[in-house]
Amino acid sequence: MIELVNVTKSYNGATKAVDQLTLTVPKGEIFGFLGPNGAGKTTTIKMVTGVIRPDQGEITINGKNIGTTPLEAKQQFGYVPDSPDQFLRLKGLEYVNFMADMYQVPKEVRGQRIMELARRFDMTSALGDSIQSYSHGMRQKIMIMGVLVHNPEVWILDEPLTGLDPKSSFTLKEMMREHADSGRTVFFSTHVLEVAEKLCDRVAIINKGKILFCGTFKEMQQHFQSDVSLESLFLELTKHE
Amino acid sequence: MNKVVGLTKVLLKNAGGTKQKASAWKTVLIMIAIAMGMIPMILGAVVFLSALYDGLELIGQQAALLGLGVTVASLAIFMFGILYVLSVFYYSQDVEQLLPLPLSPGHILSAKFLVALVYEYLTALVLLGPLLITYGVKSGGGFFYYLFALFIFLLVPILPLVMAALVVMLFMRFTNVGKSKERFRLISGLLAIGVALGFQMFVQRQVSSKADSIEQLQQMIVSQENGLLNMITQFFPASKLAALALQNSGTLLSWGFLASFLLVALASFGVFLVIGNRFYFAGVMGISEAVAKRKMVGAAAFQKLIRERSRLASYFLKEWKILWRTPAFLLNCTLSSILVPLLVLLPLLAREDSEKLIAHLQSLMQGEQAGGIGLAIVFGAFLILGSMNSTSVTAISRDGQGFFYNKTLPIGPGQLILAKVLPGLLLSGISVLVLLAEAAWLLALPGEFLLFAALCVIPSVLFINLAGIAIDLLHPKLGWGSEQEAVKQNMNTLLLFMIGLVAGGLVVVANFLIGASLWVTALGLFVLFVLLDFLIYRLLVAKGPGWLEKIEE
Repeated sequence: MIELVNVTKSYNGATKAVDQLTLTVPKGEIFGFLGPNGAGKTTTIKMVTGVIRPDQGEITINGKNIGTTPLEAKQQFGYVPDSPDQFLRLKGLEYVNFMADMYQVPKEVRGQRIMELARRFDMTSALGDSIQSYSHGMRQKIMIMGVLVHNPEVWILDEPLTGLDPKSSFTLKEMMREHADSGRTVFFSTHVLEVAEKLCDRVAIINKGKILFCGTFKEMQQHFQSDVSLESLFLELTKHE
Repeated sequence: MNKVVGLTKVLLKNAGGTKQKASAWKTVLIMIAIAMGMIPMILGAVVFLSALYDGLELIGQQAALLGLGVTVASLAIFMFGILYVLSVFYYSQDVEQLLPLPLSPGHILSAKFLVALVYEYLTALVLLGPLLITYGVKSGGGFFYYLFALFIFLLVPILPLVMAALVVMLFMRFTNVGKSKERFRLISGLLAIGVALGFQMFVQRQVSSKADSIEQLQQMIVSQENGLLNMITQFFPASKLAALALQNSGTLLSWGFLASFLLVALASFGVFLVIGNRFYFAGVMGISEAVAKRKMVGAAAFQKLIRERSRLASYFLKEWKILWRTPAFLLNCTLSSILVPLLVLLPLLAREDSEKLIAHLQSLMQGEQAGGIGLAIVFGAFLILGSMNSTSVTAISRDGQGFFYNKTLPIGPGQLILAKVLPGLLLSGISVLVLLAEAAWLLALPGEFLLFAALCVIPSVLFINLAGIAIDLLHPKLGWGSEQEAVKQNMNTLLLFMIGLVAGGLVVVANFLIGASLWVTALGLFVLFVLLDFLIYRLLVAKGPGWLEKIEE
């Protein structure tokens, strides 16, 4: 579970990237975080993951406050950033093992998990190569594997489906569903509204640092008394801003 | 032409990295600190040059100074040119983004040449500036002298840079083979540097026996029988034109010389374009390609690779691997820590009379009185050598835009900073131990002296690395486009070098003034630097996490 209470972040003291944002991402749900470019999605995710500190407000992950108990809070989640071009000089396996060390995954468990993840993402024969030799999609997959190797309670994924081939994309969506169904949390941002519509139990639409709507897709249609697609609703919502 | 200018601007801006408004004052402070550190060097050059001028003026040969100066500067510009060309043309990794744009090969070549030329001008400012100005003041040069000096300053670097570019391009073209291109590139880059160093050593050997004092140097310039001068002048025949133009600045003849010098520069640029067109692109393609085997990792190897480590050990290991596997980091951080202490020996060993000199130094190190100052000099050398290693001072910068990812990991700020400073400590430790071993071997250092020196390695290396990581934490350069920029075009490295230079100098000067014995010097330096280390450490513990927190891209 992720909770943000009255979170505000401004840059240069002027423009508010995130403005008095309050949001609860409950357990057992896939939560989609939607918004146009520059709406404050990435800023919010960075605050949740401890990269930047909010000017105001509290953020807790499974009850652990990221501001006051950062290490405990960080143990709760796994975070896949939007750019997978990192650790390029490491071999795939070295990277995943580095992540396992960071989260102190016991050796017996990590071996099994790495093999299982590699099998599901079709990466077994690539583990021994440097990440630099990977395609964009493979880099994305190894980042996801690095995060899932410690089996985090909360998944935080920034644009995780970009660049994945259909099979890996399907696998990841399947895994997100399994994770949420086992009573844990998946929080992800996306621009692909068809995916959000089909996959998410609940979505929040953010623009100019404020939440415009938060709820299920059904609730959204009822709220706007319309049965059009999420895409149409999204465009309508963010048009006048 | 517009395309060339536009592209040059973009390339230069890219190399500068993104500027953050908040840290502008820090940048200014660093610039001032670096400039202050340069002043003694430039002053030294001015004093040396004016003494040389006065001596030559007595016999009416002062103009020879210009010839020598321009020639020597050309040689140095050629050496630096090899490094600049490698970094701008080959390691900057932007060619693959430029090729799809509507630019002709000539545009790309010219723009890259201009970028390297800008770097050369900065180099020439230090190398040629003091000479041109000292000569002007001494000879009472008028408007035309300074006008010509400006032209000459702008023209001199072109020819040596073209030569450096040709050497590197040919090298890279014929080594662009095989599957593991990145590794090959690295080796050929090292080879090119090796060639440059070999050439320098050769020159050194030629000059050393004949130019020990200013008087001898004057003799050499006047007599003109020196093989070296003739040789370098043959290597850069055009520098004679520059000297002649300056010498008679303003006369009709001098305009002729200047025009010819300009023509030579333009012609050499033409040659560069033609050769570059044929060899550059074939040599740079696929430069950063990595090989993929796509083979299953064997069961035994798999078990070995998934070994469990503590966070600190694992993070350190990650840093260590990346340092060795990234060509730019390997050249500037890892290899240099082993090569630099060996290279400082070259000028000494290259001299024809090196045995005599070493014997002289040995005798100095044996005396009772020399013990203290000897140790101070060794300690100063540790500090300076340590400060030439940019591993710790770029530890944060090297992560670039990916740095923020560190903050999402459950590793405490103290452990993170420690893991980041450990590789630098290890590397500069190796560096100063190599230096100490050399000194022990060459100078037949007494056992007691060695023991004290070895003891002093610890606080000196700690000091320079802690200072380095503190600088980088306060002012990291994260907005780089190629790894080269993180370590090479990073002002933090220069700042740390200045700190090493000043601290090393102070240690020697203080000891000289106090004249302490070996025992007292060893104990004093040890205690002083352990104290300094402790202070920086406390500062890092108290403020480091906050600094880390403030780095928000």
